[in-house]
Amino acid sequence: MEPGAQSVEVEQMLEILKKTMPFQMVSDVLLRRIAALGRQSVCERGTVLYDFGDKADDIYIVISGSVEHTLEAGVNARRPVQALGPGDVFGWAALLEKYPHRLAKAVVIDKAVIVRINGDELLRLLEADPDAGDVVMSRFATMITRDYTVPDLIAQMRGIHRKMHSQDIQGMNLTLYRISQWIKSPRPYLMVIGIALFLSTWYFFVEVWKLPRFQEMPGLTVVFKEWLNPNPVYGLSLYTAEYYKHIGVSIWRVAQAFFLATALGVPLGLFLGWSRKFKEYVFPVFETLRPIPILAWVPLAIVMFIATESAVIYLTFLASFFATALNTMLGVESIEESYTRAAYCLGAKKWQVFKHVIVPGALPFIFTGLQISIGVAWFSLVAAEMVSGQYGLGYVINTSYTMVRYPTIIIGMVTLGAVGYITSAMVRILGDYLMQWRVRELALGGQ
Amino acid sequence: MAGRKWGGTLLWRGVASITVFLVFWEIGSLSKVWLKWETFAWLKEMLVSIGWTKNYLPWIGAVPAPTEVLLAWGKVIDDVGYWHSWYMSCLRVLGGFIAAMVIGIPFGLLLAVNRTAFGIGFPVFEVLRPIPPLAWVPASIIFWPTQELSIAFVTFLGAFYTIVINVIGGARSIDTRYFQAAQSMGSSSWDIFRRIILPGTLPSIVVGSAVGMGITWEVVVAAEMISGGGSQIGGTSGGGLGFFIWNSYVGGSYEQIVVGMISIGIAGFISSELLRTLGHRVTPWLRLR
Amino acid sequence: MPSATAVTRGAIKIDDVVKIYDPEGAAVMAVDHCSLDIAAGEICMIVGPSGCGKTTLLNAIAGFHEITSGRILLDGEVLCSTEKPKAEPGSDRIVVFQNGALFPWKTNLENVAFGPIMQGKLSRVEAHEKALSMMADAGLSGVEHNYPGEVSSGMRRRVEIVRALMNDPKVLLLDEPYRALDSLTKSVMHEALLEIYYRNKVTIFFITHDLEEAIFLGHKVAIMTTRPCKPKKVLEVDIPHPRDYSVLTSKRFRELIEETNEAVHEEALKAFAAGEKEG
Repeated sequence: MEPGAQSVEVEQMLEILKKTMPFQMVSDVLLRRIAALGRQSVCERGTVLYDFGDKADDIYIVISGSVEHTLEAGVNARRPVQALGPGDVFGWAALLEKYPHRLAKAVVIDKAVIVRINGDELLRLLEADPDAGDVVMSRFATMITRDYTVPDLIAQMRGIHRKMHSQDIQGMNLTLYRISQWIKSPRPYLMVIGIALFLSTWYFFVEVWKLPRFQEMPGLTVVFKEWLNPNPVYGLSLYTAEYYKHIGVSIWRVAQAFFLATALGVPLGLFLGWSRKFKEYVFPVFETLRPIPILAWVPLAIVMFIATESAVIYLTFLASFFATALNTMLGVESIEESYTRAAYCLGAKKWQVFKHVIVPGALPFIFTGLQISIGVAWFSLVAAEMVSGQYGLGYVINTSYTMVRYPTIIIGMVTLGAVGYITSAMVRILGDYLMQWRVRELALGGQ
Repeated sequence: MAGRKWGGTLLWRGVASITVFLVFWEIGSLSKVWLKWETFAWLKEMLVSIGWTKNYLPWIGAVPAPTEVLLAWGKVIDDVGYWHSWYMSCLRVLGGFIAAMVIGIPFGLLLAVNRTAFGIGFPVFEVLRPIPPLAWVPASIIFWPTQELSIAFVTFLGAFYTIVINVIGGARSIDTRYFQAAQSMGSSSWDIFRRIILPGTLPSIVVGSAVGMGITWEVVVAAEMISGGGSQIGGTSGGGLGFFIWNSYVGGSYEQIVVGMISIGIAGFISSELLRTLGHRVTPWLRLR
Repeated sequence: MPSATAVTRGAIKIDDVVKIYDPEGAAVMAVDHCSLDIAAGEICMIVGPSGCGKTTLLNAIAGFHEITSGRILLDGEVLCSTEKPKAEPGSDRIVVFQNGALFPWKTNLENVAFGPIMQGKLSRVEAHEKALSMMADAGLSGVEHNYPGEVSSGMRRRVEIVRALMNDPKVLLLDEPYRALDSLTKSVMHEALLEIYYRNKVTIFFITHDLEEAIFLGHKVAIMTTRPCKPKKVLEVDIPHPRDYSVLTSKRFRELIEETNEAVHEEALKAFAAGEKEG
């Protein structure tokens, strides 16, 4: 830092704040607001920033230089004296409930640039955004235990979380946070380059250079013109009711199969993992049927279910069912024995252990299973629709081939990809919503 | 879990469970015989009352009985065509799988090691991935000059995504301390790649290829069915177990459908067992003490 | 409220207990004719090298494992014996596990309130009220609505001990609860445990491999032999309670360490050699 630099640029302050323990996880928008509260000053060696018992109003962040921080004997710190450097945060007594006075003495030992932020103003900002505020306060708490070695004081931390009305937005908020982080990284720009490269390869290979083999394929512009055409040449575009009917039919089939598979697969998986005896009796049959590819069932399914519709749903269901049941079982088996033992110790009955330990403990695996399940559901749906079926996106792709409506094939494929992606994202969001504890752990873990 | 003793009650229970399953299957599918008997008139009436007028039990009644399947199997076991189907399917699976490994592993490693490549390549990969491999069948037939190549391409796609995802995941999960340790011992980037990234990714490659192998079988069977007979696509060449199943269906010999299904199940099981053995061999450090 | 009245419940008598794993096959003897008396309200520290069979003993008391022969009594009642090899797990003997077993999917408050709700002793509201006040007493207010994964590991251990005490147990069984903590946090935890203990006197059966921890906390320290496990030396620690950190530097503490160190070291060497052979 230049000795004469009187004002630290906001950008620079942001950079420093991002490196501090409490503010690492904060979104840029909020961080800017926090930085706006900051008052910066240059302090000469020997300046006493505050002493024991002073009124605690500001928190401090070291930008450069160093500060000696001595905690008073009464707080039982394991390491009372510490030298603080750039990125360290002190003066956190301003955030404690029972201590409007300083618990420590802070003296500048090397000419330092310091930023102060008023504790009450900071708290007000954090309360306005309880989810982010909760994370900041938790990280403050961690910092006080870890760096200042006074775990007893965490209990005094003013809790933002208690003012939080519902935890429901937590999952969503983390998503927003991730999005904001993502926009700051170079990734979106590279992504644009990647997709542009892909599309232009398609365009040039097929339509401009007309390379051998590629020229048979429908070109980029042909496909998009068709897709956006109110009067499509081949009868299917964003403007035709038929298009949505196909999408609707496919989604409805997947939905029925997926819900049936979940309703049967999760309980079966839970019992397979829960009772060893049940597993030993049932699992062999399960394992015997599993290596048979779902799609090999197609003709038999048609024979078994005279109606084509139920045959298609059955095939889709079968694929999902195996994935769900298997992952649920693995989920139950992954639960550490100490959790069930602890529950028994605390007087829980068998079914209470099931409800309070087995089910929530297996939930992360169940949701992994459901993600896989929805993926394979689409996978087998397409095959089933291509072989036998009326309506649906697989059917569109197959008939467009036989009727030589090549652009429609690509429209079908892209739509299928998009719908498949959206459904699996929905499963993931539902999972985040149901597993707040995991989301919060991950948020604190920094990843 | 893993350390359980094999044999004794475990084996007995397994055998019992499969036997019970087979017996139920047999009885269920023989309903086309016994449902006509006087004794079961009440059951028949009950079925009629819920709208089932056929002469057998719903669903299971339409499936050929295990004994019939065994008999049908006995008939085809010395048939050259049946074994040719095995051969064709295995060849396709192997071709698609090896292509996916050969292209997927370097591609995955490139994306895992190089940030820019990841930034450019991964989104495209993620955009294409949700499209089920089988949706590619018609496009693939249009593009590739021969039917064999188009089946191979779709098969390749099936395994490719899984292998790439696993390679990336595996390479990223390598403990950074290994890199630091290697650097502190003066390794070059090439050494780090060869001695740490490659072996570090190997376990995930093994896992990815096992999953990929499963998908390959799924795709091959479906591609054979779709191009062999499911529609007007393709010619008559083809062959393969998927085609065998479809052909049996069209020909009305339902026992053979089940023979085909079980054959594919066996083939899939054998190939994943082979892969597992191979996987154990290339990752000896993962063996338990 | 520190009570001067003597604790009348929670006396454990371990009487000639033998535990053999896999008696038909490898027949590994884990516990060999072990006898130990623990008075009501006493902190008894079980010291021995890792894998010596201490946890087997704890599991037998808690009711997770059968014993092969002998018997274990709690306040004169037989928990398990040769005839009835497995005790029923119950809320009178609560275990605090080595790696912690707070349910990560429940908040700290829900974890603490879990026992009484499960047993139907208290309604949800009452249990939460009691949990809040117990957590406040233990200096845990402020983290009630956090999930265990959000607080420090030292804090989690305290929550877990409060969760156990919510059930008014006769005995607390602690299985190396502070093993994974750094030494600084560990020392804080020791004082916190003592403070909680002075407030709610219960019998504590505490497994550790740290001799200093054992002598600092315990009324009684049992040094165990390595596999099979039985008491090699039982030491009554004559440093008066309540104790605090000044004890660590006291002369008597050092003497006791010196007295016992050799016995512990000898067993550690044996365990190490046995490990070499097995490995």
